Amino acid sequence: MDWQELAELFRDLESDRVERKASAADGKKIRQAICAFANDLPNHQKPGVLFIGVNDDGSCANLSISDRLLTELAGIRSEGKILPMPVLRVEKHTFDGCEVAVIVVQPSDAPPVRFEGRTFIRVGPRRAIATLEEERRLNEKRRAGDLPFDLRPLPSASTDDLDLDIFQREYLHSALAPEILEENQRSIEQQLVSLRFCTPPPEFSPTNLGILVAGKQPRQLVPGFYIQFVRFDGKELTDPIRDQKEIDGSLIDLLRYMDEVLQANISTASDITTQPLEIKKPDYPIVALQQLIRNAIMHRSYEQTNAPVRVYWFSDRIEIHNPGGLFGQVNRQNFYQGVTDYRNPHLAEAMKNLGYVQRFGVGIPIAQKQLEKNGNPPAEFDIQDSYLSVTVRRAA
Amino acid sequence: MNPPIVTFLNNKGGVGKTSLVYHLAWMYFDLGLKVVAADLDPQANLTAAFIDEERLEEVWEGNSDRNTVFRCVQPLLKGIGDIAAPKLENLEKIEDGLYLFIGDLQLSGFEDELSSQWSACLDGKERPFRVISAFWRLLTQAATDSEADIVLVDLGPNLGAINRAALIAADYMVVPLSPDLFSLQGLKNLGPTVVRWRKEWQERIPKNPATDFSLPTGQMQPIGYIILQHGVRFDRPVKAFQRWIEQIPTTYHTEVLQESPESLVPASNSSTDVNRLALIKHYQSLMPMAQESRKPIFHLKPADGAIGAHLSAVRNVYFDFKELAEKIATKIELPLPSLET
Repeated sequence: MDWQELAELFRDLESDRVERKASAADGKKIRQAICAFANDLPNHQKPGVLFIGVNDDGSCANLSISDRLLTELAGIRSEGKILPMPVLRVEKHTFDGCEVAVIVVQPSDAPPVRFEGRTFIRVGPRRAIATLEEERRLNEKRRAGDLPFDLRPLPSASTDDLDLDIFQREYLHSALAPEILEENQRSIEQQLVSLRFCTPPPEFSPTNLGILVAGKQPRQLVPGFYIQFVRFDGKELTDPIRDQKEIDGSLIDLLRYMDEVLQANISTASDITTQPLEIKKPDYPIVALQQLIRNAIMHRSYEQTNAPVRVYWFSDRIEIHNPGGLFGQVNRQNFYQGVTDYRNPHLAEAMKNLGYVQRFGVGIPIAQKQLEKNGNPPAEFDIQDSYLSVTVRRAA
Repeated sequence: MNPPIVTFLNNKGGVGKTSLVYHLAWMYFDLGLKVVAADLDPQANLTAAFIDEERLEEVWEGNSDRNTVFRCVQPLLKGIGDIAAPKLENLEKIEDGLYLFIGDLQLSGFEDELSSQWSACLDGKERPFRVISAFWRLLTQAATDSEADIVLVDLGPNLGAINRAALIAADYMVVPLSPDLFSLQGLKNLGPTVVRWRKEWQERIPKNPATDFSLPTGQMQPIGYIILQHGVRFDRPVKAFQRWIEQIPTTYHTEVLQESPESLVPASNSSTDVNRLALIKHYQSLMPMAQESRKPIFHLKPADGAIGAHLSAVRNVYFDFKELAEKIATKIELPLPSLET
């Protein structure tokens, strides 16, 4: 969308693809509007635009558009409140002498998009929460072609492979707002479709996402979906093995069990002599390991490989090996420079819903910060074409 | 129009008041309001609930001159000027639209000054009025800057000068109680004291010589009580709680509202009393889980350890607090935005 087109929309007081806000103070309304544009219920198949710094009647609000404001607005994309992550652009423009911040929101490939567990849509000039019927229309809009791995149907699976109990008890409550669930008259099939765990009828078959997050035994259908944990008694792969586990099960079980394994393996030394207070010092900060392993689960490739995520725990270091190289717009040059992309965007959504991700794009920085605080050297990344590994060394 | 300032006061500590204010602040935010939570308790527990120790160290050890309640009143205390009104960036932004006015352990140092200036107001000098109205002016300034819809104030468990100044700043007062002898006895002190403060402030207002700053009207209207079971000790017989719960409506009616016992609607037993805003149950293991994750209970996720049966309990807590938030909103005539716009 170029300046010309934006300028036309700016002047068009009637278009339902435009929303105006005098200031950025009402963060919730802005996020609701982004969510509604991403859902594109009227099916414009064109971006929706938010102008910030202009009144409802089109007059200029004379808001000064600072860099900080633009950065904050751009941050909405990755804070994980709007799921799946919206595709948006934030720019500063001047139309008819009025300085505004512009947010251009692309319609989503995989609606319904939710903000805080509620599906916002646009109905004419206003915003509303989608009704059952509207959600059904959004589900059907999900395009069949060109889907990321996690949204593709898994032909060999049936709904019998889904653990509906886990889905209803744990996932639904984490993904949807309480009032939405309370008023919910949807059948379980509708719920599965609406959370992208199954494809919309007539096929109605589980997606890879559904099997990974709430499958009874996902590993049988997606063979690489497990973590191989090996603890060596030494520094080499050939040294004797002290402990080994294959951690599998649905995403919820897998991540929880992994946390327990980490808890059990980290040793915490207590220093009781140098200060009046006892100083506790773990050999590895658990938060850093959690971030790196969760990253591996989220970003790895589950296609064309049956390899698991490997966590090799040596006496002086931990190596996390991950099948699948860098993805999308991330390359060796810009890796860890703030550029992020998602091979499995809907798995990322599920992990955010379950609380395993706080915000998108901060996993590695958090890990590095925690390592530094704990006195460990920074994590080292080895990036190959078809796999990625990260090494974390013991605190001295 | 200034947004309503609601304080939560009880002169018995440990009833779970701070956690109540914390959860209500989040609930109002979740319901779409812009909220300022202000920590006027020198113990600063509300502050500790919102932000972690690392950030607190930055704030308290840092040099910014007006990032806590105490630092804002400090110039006034030193006698070098008036309050330093906070700017939006001095409030701690928890979320877009949820701000914390950070408390400070040093705030207790303001107690003596507030105490002596209270009687000095009667002499008709200007400074005592500036001192006594400091909290109100800070809170309204913070609310204006953040465009808040509601201000929630947490107070320490006593009837001292800080709480008196805070109550004068308040439009409304909610009394959190636990169902025990201490809370009930506490009500008998609290009620008459608040009534006296209100009256004494009304006597003082006309004596203000300065016209360049406004004073709070000192409404401090009691809007009801909340029974919290957090403070309950389960080693005492459960039947005893019921006994205290039964006595609360009458005590509240006569001591806090200062109305004759006869005017109490006879049908008001403990559960139908119009003044009872809520009975908040003990949430057992959810509370420590929430504190550890630094979230309100109703935001807990499986990753925080809320799994299986916990999750449906989490949902119940959401509706408990939603109901309470709506009830308070009705009492103070605060419109809640509907999610549809």
